[in-house]
Amino acid sequence: MTDTNAAAGRPAPRRILPITGAALAAVLLIGLGSTSGKDSGAADAVPAGVAVTGPLCDLLPAGSEPGNPASLADQPADQALQWIPVLTTFEAAVRATGLAEELTREVTILAPTDDAFAGKFSRTNLDELLLRDTDELRELLRDHLVTGALPVADLVAAGTVTTVAGTSLTVTGVGQGARLDDQAETVCADYRAAGARIHVINEVLGDLPTTAGQDDDGHPAH
Amino acid sequence: MLCVPSHPSCLEIPLRYRRTTAGVFSALLAVTLAATAQPAQAQQAEPNQVQGLTVVQGDGYATLAWTPVDGATDYQIERTAVAEDGSATGASVIVGVWRPNRQINNSAPTFADAGFAPGNRFQWRVRARLGSTAQPYSAPVSDATRGHWGDPDTPGRSLRTQWENTLGAQYTNDVNEYAYTAAIDELSDRVRVVEIGRTVQDRPINMFVIGYPTPPATPEAVAATNPLAVNCNVHGNEPGDREACLIMARQLAFTDDPATLGLLSRTTMLIVPTINGDGRAANSRGNSTGQDLNRDYSLIRQPETQAFVEMVRDYRPIASYDGHEYGNANTGDLPMLPPRHQNVAQGIFDRSQDMIEGHMYTQGARDGWWACPYGCTGANVGLSEETILRNTLGLKNVVNSLLELRSSGGPTRPDEGNTANNRRRKTYSALWTFHQFLAYHGASVGDITAARAEAIRFQSANTGRIVFRGSRPIEAYPAPHPGDTPPPLDAPGEHQILEQPPCAYKLTEEQYHGARTDGPSGRQTTVAQRLAAHGWKVVKVAGGYLVPLSQPERGLVPLLLDEQAAEGLVAGERVAPTLTGTRNGPLTVTGVACLAGATVRGPVRVQPGATLIVNGGSINGPVDASGAAGFVLTAGTVNGPVNVTGTTGPVLLVGNRISGPVNVVNNSGVAPLLAGNTVNGPLSCAGNAAAPVNLEVANAVGGPRFNQCAGL
Repeated sequence: MTDTNAAAGRPAPRRILPITGAALAAVLLIGLGSTSGKDSGAADAVPAGVAVTGPLCDLLPAGSEPGNPASLADQPADQALQWIPVLTTFEAAVRATGLAEELTREVTILAPTDDAFAGKFSRTNLDELLLRDTDELRELLRDHLVTGALPVADLVAAGTVTTVAGTSLTVTGVGQGARLDDQAETVCADYRAAGARIHVINEVLGDLPTTAGQDDDGHPAH
Repeated sequence: MLCVPSHPSCLEIPLRYRRTTAGVFSALLAVTLAATAQPAQAQQAEPNQVQGLTVVQGDGYATLAWTPVDGATDYQIERTAVAEDGSATGASVIVGVWRPNRQINNSAPTFADAGFAPGNRFQWRVRARLGSTAQPYSAPVSDATRGHWGDPDTPGRSLRTQWENTLGAQYTNDVNEYAYTAAIDELSDRVRVVEIGRTVQDRPINMFVIGYPTPPATPEAVAATNPLAVNCNVHGNEPGDREACLIMARQLAFTDDPATLGLLSRTTMLIVPTINGDGRAANSRGNSTGQDLNRDYSLIRQPETQAFVEMVRDYRPIASYDGHEYGNANTGDLPMLPPRHQNVAQGIFDRSQDMIEGHMYTQGARDGWWACPYGCTGANVGLSEETILRNTLGLKNVVNSLLELRSSGGPTRPDEGNTANNRRRKTYSALWTFHQFLAYHGASVGDITAARAEAIRFQSANTGRIVFRGSRPIEAYPAPHPGDTPPPLDAPGEHQILEQPPCAYKLTEEQYHGARTDGPSGRQTTVAQRLAAHGWKVVKVAGGYLVPLSQPERGLVPLLLDEQAAEGLVAGERVAPTLTGTRNGPLTVTGVACLAGATVRGPVRVQPGATLIVNGGSINGPVDASGAAGFVLTAGTVNGPVNVTGTTGPVLLVGNRISGPVNVVNNSGVAPLLAGNTVNGPLSCAGNAAAPVNLEVANAVGGPRFNQCAGL
């Protein structure tokens, strides 16, 4: 079973409590254990903020955490994809199909989440795509690429875009994000990579048949 | 409850009661105000407020424990990131929901909070709920969690995986795994990394061999220490256990903990981090050919599974865990399951269950991890396929369990929408399990080896029916730990049972040595190679090859070689016993003789080139075999000497009672197996091409033991 997040897209509500340090000190000075340094992550050269938008962003590395959006801005797109934890399937698909080269051009990447792939393809089907039917998989990926590194606002402004595979996608605005062909929505948009924009989306595009639930998907066994 | 102005407890409690229980509001308010006015006063419990909250740090988790509240339906665990001075640096989040089915005892509730970045400081509070009505929060406890294991300034201990360095944002890739593995190998005398095979795409399959102060030098020497094994990553898209294995290897390599070193001084831990490196790299479940490797451990069509099975043959772990992830959000943290196939010896099943229910449930209740039977919610999983490692190992007399890591947080870990939180909880729960496994092994090694010895004797005796597919039942654990729903009964149907076991299977030359098409092109193996990988005894006879059932992996033999097998390898010819009753007078064996429970009142002589197989029964008189093709004597009673000389094929004596001297001399085949025999007389072995072995099942010998058998 791959990683899935049942709560993806529905971040738990959080709020910062208005607590003053001095007032709480009396309560909280209990059991000071050993302190230990947190290992530094890969995010060193941080360009000025990259603002990502969408309900899934809260669940992804942020701030100074390894893989935070700013830390990806100068990385090649295929490298940046490796830092976004919900894109393990898409990222593996890029490697399986040798598509990294194509991502070095100015490009917009509409990257479906792992949940989206799991909701589209049975595990058997997904293994077939990743391991055998890589031509088919490459075409599928190309249906998730648009020439030019376009912010989500530009996609919405364009109204219609054509994927590298030649499919026309209707784009409409939804809040700060976009809906694609009434099929998918951005859930964390406007990641930047070198020459690229990455918009995480919640459904797989393209016209491959849905196979999820058709084999052993209902009860994935060990 | 000590109430501090602006602290949420002061705000929430009156508000909640104002909404729900107006009648008690004024009284509560009075308590609150009194506490506010006198903050230095001792805490005063509010009704149904959780008391006695404590926190104890583990590696990557924190165990919260508290005094139960009468009538509580469940409890919510809240975590808040705080600074050294106690001020909140992050939001307060409900990270856990404790439910009564979480642990076997509800008198001492615990919860292992996990998912946080190691080393950060937090405050925790717990509150009961009656029905859906939340009660007052406990007084908070706060603590710094443990950082990544190992002093960052000490070589070796300072090593970190890619997964640790990225706080779970990335899994450790193959190249970084090899570098990390090599560094541990280089820096620790306790660790030897061996390559047990290569994947289809030629990635190394490494294994950590860990012992203190150094691991034994050879597989045979390792086997003598009753080792334990963890298979960390068979499905490429289930990487959580693998990360735990990599961390544990570092801990075992560099720890100063006396208890751990004590364990490692008495045994050897075998950790196979990535059997399916190709699948891990591709993020696929199967290997690079798409084969689900956990449906291949009996058939071993793939080089990955073959490597693992050969490792089991050579290193002979007595206990094992097999790491997976599971996508059911409503089950426990750690679904586990023993080998259930009915051909598994009862003692192996029982001991595996003891490891799971006796140890993991108990320790889970102490440390806050929720172990439960796999199957979990009535799913049709956890069955008897012998192709699954759990069952394969059971049929190889290894006490073992499946381990699943619940993929998503689900309702009991509601803060795991965050991908890193989820990944960290899974990996650190696996790390806890593998440490507990080591502890259980250390505490129970006598029981495990006894179960294994009994299983080897039982299997070698070739008694009782054969079940092709069908499981032992997993009983629901008594409340309050109903263990969700155990897996389906999966009892064998009549067509899956063979009441009278054959004596052996006979394979033709073509079946045994013929080229096969199953398996990756260029890496296909013959039946002969696969049976050798399993370590089975095979006798070359006229017109083919004989595989006796009377050997330690008897339960698995028909599952590969019988025409009725569900996923057989080849349909061998069933060879029936040739003698089952009583024979008065001497017996001279030419060709193949198979005695099943027979009584022979007279000597037995095996002619050159002949094969004798004896299962049970008794022989009055000497047994002499000179130049035999094969000699198999199990569960028998022999009154008289046994002389086995110059056998060209296998020699196997298991579980016999022999009154008289036993001589095993000048045999030229694979290592003779002499295990679990009672010999009233001397035991002498000399001149055998391969020194006899006993699979760590000792023989009781009344007389002296000579030469090659001195240690048996």
